[in-house]
Amino acid sequence: MRQRLLILLLALLLWPMAARAEPAFPALSGRVVDDAALLTLENRALLNDTLQRHEQMTGEQFVVVTVPDLQGMPIEDFGYQLGRHWGIGQKGRDNGALLIVAPNDRQTRLEIGYGLEDRLTDAASALIINRVMLPAFRAGDFNKGIVEGTQAALSVLGGTTSEQLAAQLPPNEDQDDPLPWPVIVLLILFYFMIVRSRRSGSVMGPIILGSTLGRSSRRGGFGGGGFRGSGGGFGGGGASGRW
Amino acid sequence: MPVRSPSRPFVVFERFFVLTALLISSLFLSGCGVNTIPTLDEQVNAAWAQVENQYKRRADLVPNLVETVKGYAKHENQTLKDVIEARAKATSVTLSPQMLSDPEAVKNFEQSQSQLGGALARLMVVAEQYPNLKANDNFIALQSQLEGTENRIAVARRDYIAAVQTYNTQVRTFPGLIWAKIYGAKPKQTFAAPEGAENAPAVKFN
Repeated sequence: MRQRLLILLLALLLWPMAARAEPAFPALSGRVVDDAALLTLENRALLNDTLQRHEQMTGEQFVVVTVPDLQGMPIEDFGYQLGRHWGIGQKGRDNGALLIVAPNDRQTRLEIGYGLEDRLTDAASALIINRVMLPAFRAGDFNKGIVEGTQAALSVLGGTTSEQLAAQLPPNEDQDDPLPWPVIVLLILFYFMIVRSRRSGSVMGPIILGSTLGRSSRRGGFGGGGFRGSGGGFGGGGASGRW
Repeated sequence: MPVRSPSRPFVVFERFFVLTALLISSLFLSGCGVNTIPTLDEQVNAAWAQVENQYKRRADLVPNLVETVKGYAKHENQTLKDVIEARAKATSVTLSPQMLSDPEAVKNFEQSQSQLGGALARLMVVAEQYPNLKANDNFIALQSQLEGTENRIAVARRDYIAAVQTYNTQVRTFPGLIWAKIYGAKPKQTFAAPEGAENAPAVKFN
């Protein structure tokens, strides 16, 4: 009996150590977490507004995050773990995405939640990174790369196909208004459908994988605008790039 | 005025009380365990389903990839044939959740999948030698999809390993141990070494 109790006690004591060691993730201070200080104040505000509007229309959470470095992790691991840690996206719909830039490691990644993978596909993500963001990063213009990369990602989420995006690219014109109005109308309709279906309680149960996801999803951060994650899940979708 | 614990009956009662409390709490503890193992079992199954999904996703990419490469690299018949064969083998070896506690079956599954992974990695290295292929939009898209899928596989595998660890801990430690006996729940196999996304594109020349 005593031995068993001892084992039980030990198991309880060791429990937290069994949990995966997590790197020191930045705090979720808003939709734009610029820990590497790459963005101008205007661009931060611009991105914040754009992302907030996008969430209001679609319920999708998109977060731009810059960190000085990746603490020695592959950016693919850092990305999905950060997404789960913050719980970006709505629980059950997993409609969150992260744009990560780590200037000291010269790496960037679009990390896409389960629920957005079919629209913001790996191929589309790779296209945005390789043709929109990396050229600007190589030229040292982080503001341009991040802002245009975010806009391109949102426009793909709004229905622009990879082909259309690729066709727009070489001249690199500024796309201030990525959403044509029929898309906006559709998105608003879609939003109301979701609100109603959520009210009626027909929310699909998420597949909670492992313990980390389940635990971290309610732990979404607080921030300037009261922004927080809603428990979205990530499974490693997206694309990365180096410059 | 010294307070003395007066009567023996009270001491007896106290002992009895402690014993009952222990009994009740141990019942309560194991009572908690009734649902734990089935719940964890379901989580392992869900994590496994995700692993299988992602492997299937990779297998689904192969025909299109082979077709695209074929158009540019006609001389790479052997590499292409290897990929096709490895895919056929990988899709024929399936593993139902009930077989997850069978080490042989899991090893078999692992082997067939890592063969396909290796064959694909070699194909991508070969593709590097064909500039026209590398510039082909279709190929670029497929390449990013393959990378993304390898990454998803790595994540799904890690989630599965974590779920199995939790499950096995439950099955092997005290309150769960008893329930495991009753349910006939066996520890499940975990993966030997994670096939990380970071290793996937890298290729070893043997």
